[in-house]
Amino acid sequence: MSVLREMFENLLSRPITILYPKEKVPIPGAFRGRVAITDEKCIGCSKCSLVCPARAITMIDGPREVEFNGKTLNRKKRPQVKLYKCIRCGLCERHCPTGAIFLKNELSSSGTDGEIVVM
Amino acid sequence: MPEVVVSIGPHHPALKEPVNFKVVVDGEKIVRLELDLSYNHRGVEKAAEQRDFIRVLPLMERVCGICSHSHSTAFAKGIEELMQLEIPPRAQYIRTIIAELERMHSHLLWLGVAAHVIGFNTLFMWTWRDREAVQDTVEEMSGNRVHYGMNEVGGVRRDLTPAQVTAALERLPNLEERIKKYVDMVSSEETMLIRFRGVGKLSKEEALKYGTVGPTARASGVDYDTRKDDPYLAYADVPWNVVTDTNGDVYGRTRVRIGELWESLKIVRYCLENLPEGSIRVTAPRNAPTGEILSRYEAPRGELAHFIRTNGTDKVERVDIRTPTLANWTSVAICLVNQNLADLPVIVAAIDPCLSCTSRITLLDKQAKKTGVMSLDELIWRNRSRDQEQVRP
Amino acid sequence: MTDPVSGLIYILIFPGFLFLFLYALFLAFLDRKIAARMQQRVGPPFFQPFADFIKMLGKEVIDPAGVDRVIFDAAPLVALAAVMTAYLYIPIVGNSPLAFQGDLVVVLYLMSLPTIVLFLLGWLSRNIFSAIGGIRSVTQLFIYEVPFFLALLTPALMAGTWSISEIVIWQQKNMWFVFLQPIGFIIALIGLQAKLERTPFDIPEAETEIVAGPWTELTGRRLAIMDLTVDVSFVVGSALVAAVFLGGPLMPWAVTPGWLAVVVGFFLFLAKTLAVLLILSSIKVATGRIRIDQLNDIGWKYIAGASIVQVGIVLVMNYLWVYA
Repeated sequence: MSVLREMFENLLSRPITILYPKEKVPIPGAFRGRVAITDEKCIGCSKCSLVCPARAITMIDGPREVEFNGKTLNRKKRPQVKLYKCIRCGLCERHCPTGAIFLKNELSSSGTDGEIVVM
Repeated sequence: MPEVVVSIGPHHPALKEPVNFKVVVDGEKIVRLELDLSYNHRGVEKAAEQRDFIRVLPLMERVCGICSHSHSTAFAKGIEELMQLEIPPRAQYIRTIIAELERMHSHLLWLGVAAHVIGFNTLFMWTWRDREAVQDTVEEMSGNRVHYGMNEVGGVRRDLTPAQVTAALERLPNLEERIKKYVDMVSSEETMLIRFRGVGKLSKEEALKYGTVGPTARASGVDYDTRKDDPYLAYADVPWNVVTDTNGDVYGRTRVRIGELWESLKIVRYCLENLPEGSIRVTAPRNAPTGEILSRYEAPRGELAHFIRTNGTDKVERVDIRTPTLANWTSVAICLVNQNLADLPVIVAAIDPCLSCTSRITLLDKQAKKTGVMSLDELIWRNRSRDQEQVRP
Repeated sequence: MTDPVSGLIYILIFPGFLFLFLYALFLAFLDRKIAARMQQRVGPPFFQPFADFIKMLGKEVIDPAGVDRVIFDAAPLVALAAVMTAYLYIPIVGNSPLAFQGDLVVVLYLMSLPTIVLFLLGWLSRNIFSAIGGIRSVTQLFIYEVPFFLALLTPALMAGTWSISEIVIWQQKNMWFVFLQPIGFIIALIGLQAKLERTPFDIPEAETEIVAGPWTELTGRRLAIMDLTVDVSFVVGSALVAAVFLGGPLMPWAVTPGWLAVVVGFFLFLAKTLAVLLILSSIKVATGRIRIDQLNDIGWKYIAGASIVQVGIVLVMNYLWVYA
């Protein structure tokens, strides 16, 4: 009986489907999306590369003078992330001492080109 | 009709994951069942031996999509016990909240799948619609709908803000109402009753003899729940009950799972309202001392056991995962005999099978280029000692 | 039938085969849309069944090894031809110009042909799933055919004629059979749901158990024709139930200008078949699939029993009131 009642109530009301892409779902703040790097903050400590479970981060040449905790450091390397190997676990964000590498709120797409990198 | 072998799988519309059932049928009655479970083997246990404790937790999470938090927590819990770490109570509560939310989403998913298997697609659509509320809550808290990534050795990674707690508490009353409707529906909807009642009956002695765990065993009256018998996380503080049933058939398992949905909702509400203050993690040492530990956890499908052996380095030496689905397959082979072929998907779906969890063993024959499984006799023969005379089976 | 040109227009265009084709696909869309809305989903757009039909006509036809290609090509066409012929005897806008005494029996016979064709296809595909599906299909036919025939024959008993068009005229003079024989109406609806192999009677096509039963090895244009056959059976079945129980395209009073009678009759036909569609879709959404042995139980105990009771009631009513 409860099935029949609910069926007819549903027939007379709107469906609950969200018609993406015309309507969009609000993305929560904690969402783990696409990886991004802020170059000014990175001190080249390589921690992100060491903790990445998918080994998606390699350190490439990138000398720069960076401010950290009031001191000026001469960094030698900076990270480069293979976008489609990243599993978006967030360990790099968790272990980065300066907050230079983080996961954005936007969707990380998927693809087959293994060479696309985020720097 | 003479006996016919119907080969169901590895590709079949009824199966979500590859498994091979060779069902020997006489007309519409099942005579015997032969299983081949090794299709989803990915070498997780070996891969875990090469990753240190920070990098291994995302790997353990990805053993299964539906019970990912179970594997990650069981492993983290075991390592913390070996390292003799005391994790703060706020972390325990957050882990419990995510664990019970995972149990809720898993049971709602199961209810939909069980309805779909008997062709009752309406209930499938409705339960998965309600499951979205749980998924939204988990996405707000952890950032993803599956593979939550909340655990690390020493505590949890993220904290719950007061806004997230309020939003989660607001979603619970609607879910409560829907669960009440499902309790009603299951006990009064005619087609569900005649398909579920009396199908796949498992007595209490058989359940105990064949090592059945989880809701499958609790539906046969076995009062065993790892959360009560070997308490971990915050379960000792929260008031809750173990749900058992005496029917022993698929209907009993449905009632147990819906009862567990109810209890999980109560646990989530209690933990959200009584979240203790404090830090969410302690710093863990890099290496674990030498030792062995068996870490048990009540996953949505039953008792999950991780056996971990460490040797003083920053990686495990051996991890062995015994999932609840692996323990329940024997009960399927037992209660399928003399049932109708049309009941095969119902009985298989009633143990809530998760093949990604189960496939831990496969045999590779490099010369013949074949894969397969091993019988118990062959396993015993391979482990014989030098002075035992045995013939190769 | 005096004028061959108007006869050809009746058969081929309206309300003949062209209208039947369009209406069958439209009812298929409505069925899916109503089911979706009841489940709080959006459902397909109105042209979905048309698009599916055209797409499937163009897909590759795969012949399993050792299967008789000629029968696999011909059998769906035979099924489609049978139900399309059955459609011609049912009153749509007024009496059918092809009506004769006994066309009720002819329509019922032609409507069982698709099930026999499905059994044949299931048996001839060299595939265990199709064989099981074919056997289930014929078992189900034996179970529901007796009550379904009896439920549709009792109005003929009371109206004293074997022609559907004359049954419709009798209802215009007296009362709709849905009020005189409610048990028969319910049995006819259940029998129709079983004939169309829809939930709870979609046992032969049980997707989660035997892949697709006898439909497994049908591909490309064969699947398109067989799907169209089921859609056309839906129209024929609901039109038959609407004509025999709900008074067909005639109102309880006569409508005088001839062209107005046709228009009114057409709209009545649409309304009544849509009412039958609503009932059948609700049954489909509200239930799950039952097993073949359970159907055996329920079918012979309750449904066949109820239909025999209905025949008894009709005989008593005939003796006491109708022909007193």
